[in-house]
Amino acid sequence: MTDVAVERKYSKRSSRWKLILIGLIFALVGVAIVCLNVGYAPISFSEILNILGKQIPGLNGAIDPTSVSSVNEAIIMQIRLPRIMAGALVGAGLAAAGVMYQGVFRNPMADSYLLGASAGASFGYTLAVLFVTTSAITVSGLGLFQIVAFIGALSAVFVVYFMSRVGNKVPITTLLLSGVVVNVFILALQTVFELRSGKALVGIVAWIAGGFANITWVHVYSVLPFVIGGIIVAFFFCRDLNTLAMGDDTATHLGVNTERVRLILLVIGSLITAAAVSISGVIGFVGLIIPHMTRLIIGPDHRILLPTSAIVGAMFLITCDAVARVATGASELPVGVITAMAGTPVFIYLLRRRRTSYSL
Amino acid sequence: MDGVECRYGSIKILEDVSLQVKEGDFVGILGPNGSGKTTLLKSISRTLKPHKGAILLDKTDIYSLKSIELAKHMAVVPQENTIGFSFTALDIVLMGRNPHMKRFQMENEKDLAIVRKAMNLTNTWGFADRPINELSGGEKQRVIIARALAQEPKILLLDEPLTHLDMINQLEVMDLVKELCVKEGLMVLAVIHDLNLAARYCNVALLLNKGKVFSAGSLETVLTSENIKSVFRVDAIVRKSLVTNSLYILPLSPQKISPSKHCSIHLICGAGTGTSIMKALVDEGYSVTAGVLNLLDSDFETCELLKIPAVTEAPFSPITDKAHRENLDFIGKASIVVLTSVPFGYGNLRNLEAVLEGMKLGIPTYVIDEVPIDSRDFTGGKAKELLLQIELAGAVFVKHSSELPSLLNLSKAVGLAKDHTEIPGHTKDASCAPKSKGKN
Repeated sequence: MTDVAVERKYSKRSSRWKLILIGLIFALVGVAIVCLNVGYAPISFSEILNILGKQIPGLNGAIDPTSVSSVNEAIIMQIRLPRIMAGALVGAGLAAAGVMYQGVFRNPMADSYLLGASAGASFGYTLAVLFVTTSAITVSGLGLFQIVAFIGALSAVFVVYFMSRVGNKVPITTLLLSGVVVNVFILALQTVFELRSGKALVGIVAWIAGGFANITWVHVYSVLPFVIGGIIVAFFFCRDLNTLAMGDDTATHLGVNTERVRLILLVIGSLITAAAVSISGVIGFVGLIIPHMTRLIIGPDHRILLPTSAIVGAMFLITCDAVARVATGASELPVGVITAMAGTPVFIYLLRRRRTSYSL
Repeated sequence: MDGVECRYGSIKILEDVSLQVKEGDFVGILGPNGSGKTTLLKSISRTLKPHKGAILLDKTDIYSLKSIELAKHMAVVPQENTIGFSFTALDIVLMGRNPHMKRFQMENEKDLAIVRKAMNLTNTWGFADRPINELSGGEKQRVIIARALAQEPKILLLDEPLTHLDMINQLEVMDLVKELCVKEGLMVLAVIHDLNLAARYCNVALLLNKGKVFSAGSLETVLTSENIKSVFRVDAIVRKSLVTNSLYILPLSPQKISPSKHCSIHLICGAGTGTSIMKALVDEGYSVTAGVLNLLDSDFETCELLKIPAVTEAPFSPITDKAHRENLDFIGKASIVVLTSVPFGYGNLRNLEAVLEGMKLGIPTYVIDEVPIDSRDFTGGKAKELLLQIELAGAVFVKHSSELPSLLNLSKAVGLAKDHTEIPGHTKDASCAPKSKGKN
């Protein structure tokens, strides 16, 4: 590249990034609308668009009420749309948390389940199922089990964090090892309870395997602030994440408060993950591989990587959920199965395309 | 910016280090492995907090500053640089602008211009767009240095910045840093292993030994032969080169072998012909004397460095009687005489006469005949005559000086030699071997 070309490339970078994001958002909306079409009840695209148009205050008047059947409207608005919104939020959240964790740990194998969020949520859910007989308890519509799963996830991360603290510092390797240990420990407990759970086992395993089967708007609203808020706050720290990638010492020399940034990002990542897992169970692959896939295409700069991964994650999960909905005849497949089966070949293709060996 | 004062009293690694650095100073932090150089840099760069003592920047304790504040003034180039992310070189250098940017600011034209200048100065602009992990060690090093420069620091800390660089890059980096010191008052503290490079560019030096300051101050006062010997345990010649106008250091073999063979050799040489053989003989353990040498002769320089007693003569003067007598004296005390392929003029012709005298006393004589006498005889044939006489008297002629030590060893036969005193008139033993039973 000539000198001028290089300079121009870098100075135009922020506008290029904005364009990419806008394009991706449009793509996301497109994918969402396509997936609204997927399901057992056949609903045409025009009807879908009309139904959606009815929700927008401005367009409301322009839509002919007779073009929309109330049954279909109910299906779209009460069943499919919340499901898609939840899928988008969970996909975005898990992918974003994955980016944060990989950046903080400087490790390509990191995802947001590393510090015990998934184990904690599963365990919490299991205990709730086994010991709370009145499943009708809800807190403003949100099931008790969701809340317990959320608390379980956060508690596990809490334990891991405080296990690893030495004075004011939390060394990364210690965190990783503590995470491994706590995960294993909780898994052991989990196994014990599962073995003694009898009939409830199927329900527990199904929930843990992940899915969006019974998602309502309450679930969506409960997760939305965590995911959107978390991603926005994390975005403030993206340049610091870039610097952190150089190593703790170098980051400090360049003025980054490494302990504080790491802590903040881990907290945000864990909150997002806990919220996501509490409504959707443990969906794997998204938090680990989507950041890598995005990085292979767009590069390691976290300022673009974070938002892009979030959108890609959202699109990915919405699509996988749609497939899960209709793949097999009678019952749904767990979403986690679809994400793994779909994502792996794409990732391998991207990996092979690079001529040099992979690095973050 | 007035200066940085560094007092660090920690029992384990560094003890009681004090230093004051002014604007424009290029401080070389020197010392053997394990003496605490990197630790010192770490304490200044706030990676390692000192147990005792304070580091002040313009009278402010640097540990009381926020790290972003300090980063605006101080840049660090560490020893190790492993970057696992595939940022491009330009991205890496751009990170040097971070301390000066507000949280949401994207890099603007000015930042890019500074980065470009820094990369041009370090010859890294050519691969600005390439990922850092595809670059060689030296290229990576220069990118990191560029990043430090992009910070526009007042203080630059370098931890062995030249390790991966080839010669021209080493010189260019040092030239660049020195220029910044001189022109813009940059303060540099660099840990450098290569004493010669340090001697050439630093004006202040801090010599550490086992965690303590052995010597600190201007370069000339710190880098002396004695200091180098005490701290590095290496004999070194410290000279000032008039070409580069700086000191240069020439290390000799690590250990000076004390005379072990109790056999003294008198070396008649000059014009540089004797230097290598002197060193070889000293290494072998012989005690060596030399004469007659002109005071300006390079062989005499070697004598001074190797502490070889020599008979000297004033420059531009032929060998006087006094010097000649001293020479004969030395010859008499020696067990062996060696004559090198020194060119002969009227000034040093008497050296050949001295050799003949020595042979009359029966002292074994070896002549190194590397250069034919015709090409080094400037006395119109007299030297050649004398040499012929020497040959007739039974001197052993050796074609190459490298053959000499082994030849001497053979002639010594077994074991240690004894110092023997001159017994006038008696034929000397042809070897330095102890008198074995039954012989002589």
